[in-house]
Amino acid sequence: MTAIDARPGPVTPAAPVPVAVRARDVLTSEWTKLRSVRSTYWTMLVAVVTPIGLSALVAVTLANAPGNSPPVDPLLPGLLSLEYAVLAVGVLGVLTFSSEFSTGLVRTTFAAVPRRRAVLAAKAAVLGAVTLVAGELVAFVSFALVQAVLSGKHLGVPLSRPGVLGAVLATGLLLFVVATMGLGLGAIVRHTAGGIAALVGLIFLPAILGLLPAPWGGRVGRFTLLDAARQVTALHPATNLFAPGLSLLVMLAWPALTLLAAALLITRRDA
Amino acid sequence: MIEVDKLVKRFGAVTAVDGLTFTVRPGHVTGFLGPNGAGKTTTMRVILGLDAPTSGTTRVNQQSYQALIRPLHQVGALLDATALHPGRTAEAHLLSVAQSNGIGRARATEMLRLTGLEAVANRRVKGFSLGMKQRLGIAVALLGDPRVLMFDEPVNGLDTEGIAWIRQFMRALAAEGRTVLVSSHLMSEMAQTADRLVIIGRGRLIADTTTAELIESSTRKDVLVRSPRAGELAELMTARGATITKEDDGGLAVTGLDAPTIGDLAASRGIAVHALIPRAASLEDAYLDLTGESTDFRAASPRTTERPEGVPVP
Repeated sequence: MTAIDARPGPVTPAAPVPVAVRARDVLTSEWTKLRSVRSTYWTMLVAVVTPIGLSALVAVTLANAPGNSPPVDPLLPGLLSLEYAVLAVGVLGVLTFSSEFSTGLVRTTFAAVPRRRAVLAAKAAVLGAVTLVAGELVAFVSFALVQAVLSGKHLGVPLSRPGVLGAVLATGLLLFVVATMGLGLGAIVRHTAGGIAALVGLIFLPAILGLLPAPWGGRVGRFTLLDAARQVTALHPATNLFAPGLSLLVMLAWPALTLLAAALLITRRDA
Repeated sequence: MIEVDKLVKRFGAVTAVDGLTFTVRPGHVTGFLGPNGAGKTTTMRVILGLDAPTSGTTRVNQQSYQALIRPLHQVGALLDATALHPGRTAEAHLLSVAQSNGIGRARATEMLRLTGLEAVANRRVKGFSLGMKQRLGIAVALLGDPRVLMFDEPVNGLDTEGIAWIRQFMRALAAEGRTVLVSSHLMSEMAQTADRLVIIGRGRLIADTTTAELIESSTRKDVLVRSPRAGELAELMTARGATITKEDDGGLAVTGLDAPTIGDLAASRGIAVHALIPRAASLEDAYLDLTGESTDFRAASPRTTERPEGVPVP
């Protein structure tokens, strides 16, 4: 990049800037924003350390449970522990947009990039990439830890067994899914507290519906984010929910629909 | 160049901008004046594509803002200096905005130097004074070396030194041939900074003029005369072509004759004069005269002078 002179040059005609270059501009900008605030580091630390420690703890509990063959999925500890980490990345997702609205920074952002959907997309891409990498890291480290504990009791499963690799990969998706969903909610609600409340409401309230008596528990529960995630990541999927493939779509539909709603609203409202 | 054409902006039942039309040309500092709530900030937001107009259009350099590619190269704006993420450093903030328009780190660093923020570049902005935030906002506005600059109430809350710095800065930018629009609710501030004035009240245009013309046409000059034989003296002065308004306390407000002439006249007829005071209304008074009718919320005023409904626009 060359330094531009402080004095005005001739009026620069609006030189055509390729869309790919503009996309790179906005991505770079959002990446700088994400890595220049402390909340990113704190929430990611919580999101990575908590589930790894927690999954090991759950595995130890399972391994030492009385009775020899617990009918428990050996992959469950990895997912269960991530269900706590989703709160951290969900809050990060909400903050990524809501903090711009609450401080008024969003007006600088939108004046610099009038194509607001490009801003939303760039934020989703940057946050999505970070949480995807972190999520997969957590999923594989947790898996290794849990299996190390369980294999001592001959309860573990190797990564090479059919379905296990896919299930672990899918477990790692959870952080990405919830973070981008939080981002969409932050853009829709535009307040941090409201966005977090909406996120918790959409993730955990429907989970209660899964506890309805049969067959309603499954009929409703199959559409909830957490039940879909469990179905995708289970070694032995439940029969009353959608098949894992369809459940994966349900899991991805939550952030997709949230971001779609955000994209529709973001250009219609005054900043 | 900034063009605002028949702009209307309503928020629910409130009409913030009501059919506003004006053009801001390059090479001058144009003051955008009006009482608080007159619609200045709303107009600037519409110009920047942040608020959608209810009707009417705004254009910058003959283009709609939405159509601008990398807009920071054409328009730089400082709306609210405090609109920053408190946890981000000055440098990170400036860099993130620069990158969104393909502007590199070197230029961002250069702007920090230009605005005197080099030493605090790596500090989080939550510890910044308002003056430092204003400087950072100006650094952001100048990033793309834009031909058009807009500042919303840039001197609000600044100390004397900061005000002088910004004033000199804006004049320098205009002298370089840029279009500079600066809003303020203080006439006294604009009189020292702006060459041209766009004055609005309740979202409507009140005056679009030069500062010099406004001073020329709106400044009231008269002489206050008190005399125990006021009636007699008034007749003499009227005969010499003066226009006289009787004030409530018995004083005479005389225009058309200067103080020495009135004094000589009174002396020649042996009329005692108790007061002979030349008066000049300030530009601030002229501004109040213009906007007085259009202020939404006004404190009860001791001024009793009646002002005509349709104030003549110079």
